[in-house]
Amino acid sequence: MRFEGKCWIFGDNVPTDRLVKPQYVFEPVEVMARHVLEDLDPDFPLNVAPGDIVVAGRHFGQSSGRAIATKALQGTGIGCVVAESFARTFYRNCFEVGLPALEVPGVTALAGAGDVLRADLTTGAVTNTRTGATASGAPADRFLVEMLEAGGLIALAAGRPELFGGARAR
Amino acid sequence: MNLVEKILARASGKPSVEPGEIVIAEVDMLLMHDLSGYLTSGVYDKKVGLPIPHPERTLMVFDHHYSPPTEQQADVLHHNREWARRTGINLLDCGSGNLHHAAVRGGFVKPGMIVVGSDSHTPVHGALGALAVALGNDSHAGTVLPYSKAWFRVPETVGIELHGVPRPGTTPRDVALWLTAQIGEGAMNYKALEFTGPYVKQLGFWDRWLFPLLCVDLGAKCSYVEPDEVTEAFVRALPGGLPDDFPRGDGGEAASVLRFDVSDVVPQVACPPTVGNAKAVSDVAGRPVDYAELGGHGGGRIEDIRTAAEVLRGRTVHPRTRFNIVPSSREIFAQAVREGLVLALHEAGATWFPPSTGSNQAINMGAMAAGEAMVSTHARNFPGRNGSTDAEMYLASAGTVAASAAAGEIAERSTP
Repeated sequence: MRFEGKCWIFGDNVPTDRLVKPQYVFEPVEVMARHVLEDLDPDFPLNVAPGDIVVAGRHFGQSSGRAIATKALQGTGIGCVVAESFARTFYRNCFEVGLPALEVPGVTALAGAGDVLRADLTTGAVTNTRTGATASGAPADRFLVEMLEAGGLIALAAGRPELFGGARAR
Repeated sequence: MNLVEKILARASGKPSVEPGEIVIAEVDMLLMHDLSGYLTSGVYDKKVGLPIPHPERTLMVFDHHYSPPTEQQADVLHHNREWARRTGINLLDCGSGNLHHAAVRGGFVKPGMIVVGSDSHTPVHGALGALAVALGNDSHAGTVLPYSKAWFRVPETVGIELHGVPRPGTTPRDVALWLTAQIGEGAMNYKALEFTGPYVKQLGFWDRWLFPLLCVDLGAKCSYVEPDEVTEAFVRALPGGLPDDFPRGDGGEAASVLRFDVSDVVPQVACPPTVGNAKAVSDVAGRPVDYAELGGHGGGRIEDIRTAAEVLRGRTVHPRTRFNIVPSSREIFAQAVREGLVLALHEAGATWFPPSTGSNQAINMGAMAAGEAMVSTHARNFPGRNGSTDAEMYLASAGTVAASAAAGEIAERSTP
């Protein structure tokens, strides 16, 4: 799975509370998407374009485990999110809602605001098309790629009910 | 295999599991609060809609609201009540207490269970020897509710071994905040943590609770304290008692072990903007506070309320500060009444709030204006979580919170 898009850069330890502020948690995804990350970069929700790539530092998406943070980001139409590292619930939720996520140590050093990046989920490689700099992380697990290809966890479970609906363990 | 691996192997019907492997395991309990319940039920109705074969394995607790302040929030609770009635899941309504405290007190969590929830502090139930993991709404709606299953990557386990006897005035909450800064936020990403060592073993159940509580800020998937006689005595006294049989680790040491000596830890305050930004109280002392609060996932325990009453004996809350007390459960409020703590703290100038999660995210209390500050026993201090992004949340022990309420500024409790 490959993505190419203009990148937007965010720092370390961005909590879900900054992706979806408490006053928007009951709003529809379209409203959350119009305010996503606005406190950190007011331009982002206004000017992000479909296919753009969000680049972030360490422990991106810490705090709440609610999937709305990933859905709000997905609602902007970005192609994928690449971070030095993710909070694990955020990483899990990305795949479950169908938003590609890639963990690449060193990505913030090679990306400048507005550069066009190329990211490959199956190899884990990221390239800055302007400078040619590359970095790579671990590719996403096969099960997670299958989840993305199905369109998320709910679609995967619907398409392959034997995965979760099989005989009970106890 | 350690406790986490034993639990995952049993629940996935395998003889053994290895770190890194993805397994699909049977889930024993799904915990949701009023916000996550609303989001999960919405996804479930819209995208899944299958029957729920085990509604008894789900508990929803209204803890972000003790009473809805707007029509929109009333609609959320109304929807949740209807949904709970229709599906037959367990519901504890407004005033029941904090989600995790109410779940434990109600006997919904037992050692050896797999417990999931989208509240990020769900791993706190590792204090009982459960495998407790935070998942998102789509896991709950897509696989937990319809099939009682979820996917898990088997985590690597890291032992966190605590030694030493802290100096007087340093509480387990101080040690926990200090440890978060020592280890580093996100440093334990995807790991399982076993809290162990002589310091942990000698703590009572509700003090042990404060350690699995912090594991999410370290990035960990889950953490636990291996069940022992303290755990067993505690669980035996809960509704449903102690299960006849539950998994235990086989005593093998974790792949890596971090050892810490807590002897020199001084009282700590986690300063904005993140939980790992812990400093000595003495470094922050004098910062004026508008609010002080006992409450949240880690606070509002009877231990905290007793501490506050001791600190405020013969003193009153400073006129600059509002001291809000939020009992963690109905049982704790009743106990505080019986011990005379409610009247004592009321007369000292504190305000009692209904059992709930308190100012967590300021859903029904705890919003601050720009420039205001709160010191609390809460679990989170990210800017914007409590009103203005220019308000400040400081996290500390009950002793520091109460001493600060009396002083009107962040202050260390004078050593008892």
